[in-house]
Amino acid sequence: MERHVNPEDPDLYALGALEGEEKQAFEAHVRACAQCAEALAEAQQRAAVLGLAADAAPEPLPGVKTQLMQRARAERAQGMARRAARAVETRRQSWWLTPALGVATLIFATLAGWFWMRDSLDVERIQVLENQLALAQSQSRDIARAADETDHLLGMPGTMRVSLAAMPGVPMARAGLLYNARMGMVLCTGELPPAPKGKIYQLWLVPMKGAPMSVSVFAEMGNRMTLMGRVTPGVQAKAFAVTVEPGFGMPQPTGPKVLVGAAG
Amino acid sequence: MTAPMQPAPDSALVERMMAGDENALSTLYDRYSGMLFAVLVRILKDTHAAEEVLQDLFLQLWRSAARFDAKRGSLPAWLMVIARNRAISRLRGRERLLVQDDDDGFSMENLPAAVNLEDEASRAELTRKVRAAMAALPEEQREAVELAYFEGMTQTEIAARTGSPLGTVKSRVRAAMQSLKQIFDDGTTRQSGRS
Repeated sequence: MERHVNPEDPDLYALGALEGEEKQAFEAHVRACAQCAEALAEAQQRAAVLGLAADAAPEPLPGVKTQLMQRARAERAQGMARRAARAVETRRQSWWLTPALGVATLIFATLAGWFWMRDSLDVERIQVLENQLALAQSQSRDIARAADETDHLLGMPGTMRVSLAAMPGVPMARAGLLYNARMGMVLCTGELPPAPKGKIYQLWLVPMKGAPMSVSVFAEMGNRMTLMGRVTPGVQAKAFAVTVEPGFGMPQPTGPKVLVGAAG
Repeated sequence: MTAPMQPAPDSALVERMMAGDENALSTLYDRYSGMLFAVLVRILKDTHAAEEVLQDLFLQLWRSAARFDAKRGSLPAWLMVIARNRAISRLRGRERLLVQDDDDGFSMENLPAAVNLEDEASRAELTRKVRAAMAALPEEQREAVELAYFEGMTQTEIAARTGSPLGTVKSRVRAAMQSLKQIFDDGTTRQSGRS
């Protein structure tokens, strides 16, 4: 009679609790035994949903997503640059494969070298243009989205405009925002100096009563900082403020204020 | 009357991500970040660390979308497995080891295939069932499973922590996981085949 694994092993393995020789023996057996492989698959189904037993957590700070999207965008542009660089390298390698026999080959090689240089320059130019195009397309999508949101907000009854002015000692900073309390929607755009390394600009709604509420963190869009965020609908704003915060932002303001504006 | 617009299925969003569509990544983040963040916070007990792992997880998804095969399983279940692996690795200082062993954690090898977490209503229902099933377990069984899943402990470590013989730990884990089996038996948690 064929001997299978211990009945506890698939669940222990799926949970990562099996170890040492037992783990190795289990893996070796499962590779050769369809019945135990199926038992493991079922155990993995059960283990996969255990995470749902975790208590609901507060939402991650908005800066997590903002930075994620910025990193994804940057990686996309870098990926395009790498592909273009590989194309250049391929052309360089191809050049060495050119036959080199006699005078005719020398002439051919000279011509090939000239064409290679010309093509390399072209490819490098294309690389730069592709990067610029990718960034421009990405930024234009963001700008179009912001424009749509602006139109949408401006068209809604009850939308207020708030101007945010720089705090003393903060040069070259200003912003304006639209806020609709009924929808809890905020759209803000402004000019701010680059945030210090490891820091981020975060917008706060100061309600009539209670502690400031985080709206979102700013993302760079061209030479402007923009932000689209939501707060709990129905909150009447007394003021808005922008602070400098670490990492992905903070649940409550901790850093210096750079912009403030009274609502209403 | 106009029918409400159906949300894009995960498989379509993954294909759009492979084509470089950032909005697809944004949609998937909005769909699953809450579920994943809860697990990460529970394991790491540190919201900032959980946010870092969450962001890295989605960035890795952006880079490695091509590795996901929707025909072989559920994206959220896959993400849940990877999120848990990464959090445990960080918790226990095993980051380097895990990356070597598991190709940065983005292997399709251990993909849970038939769990429907894509649909929000099904996800909420499954969450309710899992929590109810866990709450109904005898204390010692629940503790054994939680130490393994949320603390990343091996069976030997669980035995040492609880002061129980190794064989008892094995039996407890087995009994607990068999109790959870009933969640899948009614068929409502199976993948709907949308993706």
